[in-house]
Amino acid sequence: MRICMVSDFFYPSIGGVEEHVYNLSQMLLALGHKVVVLTHAYGDCTGIRHMTHGLKVYYLPIKVCYNQCILPTAVCNVPMLRAVLLREQVDVVHGHSAFSALAHEALMVGALLGLKTVFTDHSLFGFADLSAALTNKLLEITLSMVNHAICVSHIGKENTVLRARVAKHRVSVIPNAVDTALFTPDPAQRPVNGVINIVVASRLVYRKGIDLLAGVIPRFKNTPNVKFIIVGDGPKRDLLEEIREKTNMQDRVEILGAVEHAQVRDVLVRGHIFVNTSLTEAYCMAIVEAASCGLQVVSTSVGGIPEVLPNSLILLAEPDIEAIYSAILVAIDRHRKIAAATSSTANGNIPQETARARRKRLKKSVKSVPAISGPTAATSSQTEPVLCPHRCNELVETLYNWEDVAQRTVKVYDRVLQERAFTLSELIYAVYQCGAWFLAFLVVGHFTLLLLERWRPRSRIEVAFESRRRPS
Amino acid sequence: MAKTTYGKRKPWVKNLYSNREYPDNYTDVSFLKDLRTNLHVRLYTFGEAVAGITVLNNQISCITGFLILYHMMLVESVAPTSILVPSCIITGIGYLFYRGSSLSMLLLGEDSKTLVTVLLFGYIFSPMLHTLTQAISTDTIYMTTFFMMLFNLMFSDYGLDVAMVSKAISLNAAIFGAICLASRLSTSYHAFVLLVEAAIFFVLYPIMIAATWHPLCMVPMFIICCTALYNISRPVLYLYACSMLFINFVCPFIFVRQQRHKFNIHGPWDEAIVEENTDKNLDENL
Repeated sequence: MRICMVSDFFYPSIGGVEEHVYNLSQMLLALGHKVVVLTHAYGDCTGIRHMTHGLKVYYLPIKVCYNQCILPTAVCNVPMLRAVLLREQVDVVHGHSAFSALAHEALMVGALLGLKTVFTDHSLFGFADLSAALTNKLLEITLSMVNHAICVSHIGKENTVLRARVAKHRVSVIPNAVDTALFTPDPAQRPVNGVINIVVASRLVYRKGIDLLAGVIPRFKNTPNVKFIIVGDGPKRDLLEEIREKTNMQDRVEILGAVEHAQVRDVLVRGHIFVNTSLTEAYCMAIVEAASCGLQVVSTSVGGIPEVLPNSLILLAEPDIEAIYSAILVAIDRHRKIAAATSSTANGNIPQETARARRKRLKKSVKSVPAISGPTAATSSQTEPVLCPHRCNELVETLYNWEDVAQRTVKVYDRVLQERAFTLSELIYAVYQCGAWFLAFLVVGHFTLLLLERWRPRSRIEVAFESRRRPS
Repeated sequence: MAKTTYGKRKPWVKNLYSNREYPDNYTDVSFLKDLRTNLHVRLYTFGEAVAGITVLNNQISCITGFLILYHMMLVESVAPTSILVPSCIITGIGYLFYRGSSLSMLLLGEDSKTLVTVLLFGYIFSPMLHTLTQAISTDTIYMTTFFMMLFNLMFSDYGLDVAMVSKAISLNAAIFGAICLASRLSTSYHAFVLLVEAAIFFVLYPIMIAATWHPLCMVPMFIICCTALYNISRPVLYLYACSMLFINFVCPFIFVRQQRHKFNIHGPWDEAIVEENTDKNLDENL
């Protein structure tokens, strides 16, 4: 089938949504589907570009308004979107992220053209403030025109069902994944002199809980063999630098600034423990990447994070300084324990041969039910020594991979393709139910499409060339 | 998924890696069990609302009082000195009351320095301020004053911690309004007295109010304003009294009635609230 991914967020911009769209598209291409990505122009990056494996990306010439989003005009880009959707003979329009105005617009155009629409929500919203109330209303209207919604975690589903008032059976939960082949552990990079490296990798903003981190770091003032490596940039960087100065930890807190996504792995493998202090998070890719690199993850227990990793990989803490501090202490304790247990290797890791042998064994059992220590192991694992990094990588591989995500997404596409497309009266009724004012935009959009049908009829639109597509 | 295996499959767990046997759009019975509604909602009683709204009425009455003084000076019904002297005496008493037992010679010296500076510069500049806006037509002056006083009302600090509140804007608006009005008075001495009154009404009085305010203080203020307006203009009196009563009783009534629509949802998706590190509290936290 032909799928069109629409989001304001795509490469060259970096982030969770971008990664999701890219990896999912690649997997769908591998499965033999045709995928085009629609996004707005990023500076010089404009026009049509082809990426790895023939992924076609339309960088539409639309001005960016705020925070990488286009101005939410709802109807201004109808001709362009229609042209692309018809030219590419799209079957399913798949929008990403509630913040993306382009996705909302394309979903409306898709619904008016009688195409099937799917929407993936990547973030959580509150209900208390004005901006949340406005975004929720917009999402409610968009989702009333969408055949199926996808959320990245169960909390995300609860949140979406509540704020957009969609029927529960129309929302699927399909998590993100991580390419475990890219995020492989390399214990040789860890320091050999008994120092424990704690890695933090996130944008340095309030929502990522950098204020909590700034409270945790000074607690390690008198623990000489603990080092912090902080990756990322943002407005809170000054705060961390100030904390570093004031506590005289210049030699033990390394602030690397922004690092390209491909290089994050090289930093991650240097650490023993990964700390995530987010205040809200729908899925949190960073902790999965870290776990895949074999780090012991310590994270705040907010949003969807408790659902993401099994207890053998993660230590959860309430979002306050004291709790995070004691969770890090537990993690350090675990590392020290394994260091004491295996004196043969400097880093306290099980020798490579054993790990490789185990990997072979595991490969066989992967296809069956993955053996995961359930929540019952939670209490006992507190004192357990930390897992071998390679074992972590294998475990994450069994939990998440893009192929699985793509297959589950294709199931959703198949479902919506079997559904009947919305008729215009159904769309009008659905929009009327949740916000009659939006009908004005819907009507304008509809008549623009009628006009365009006259002016540039569907039959006269040149169909895009498709090179050697495997039959799906 | 086959419906026949429904009873046999493993129980659903709220995580993202098990549950392979369940369809992706499966909804468990535990769905939304962490939903909490109206956690921090506080319902106000009618009495609380009436008592609370008096701070707004107080500010309106304060502006009204200032305008009454202006009118008295404009029509020359009272000499400026006979306004200045009593208000200075009241201010002095208020000052002693405000400082109370913490009053010391040092503090008195500091405060009188400020007072002398303000009065001296006010007196020196009053001829200039008096003629500053004289060329502008009276209608424009009154309209500007109206808007300035409205800004003063809007941005005043009523004890709420919201972005709208700005003491600087509200004070500046009021002083600007006073300077506009000063040009309509006959002499620069009049203008000086009006500016002193403006300082008393819009700078000192709110400080006093913030420290000691009781809802019942509204009653004498209301009566004084009404009496003064009775002698000036009947329609303005009715307007003032009606809006006062409307704000003080009808608005709280509507507010209390509408409270039953309060509906707030909380759940695990809410952003955790942490104390933000600022320059002020950074050192304490270390």
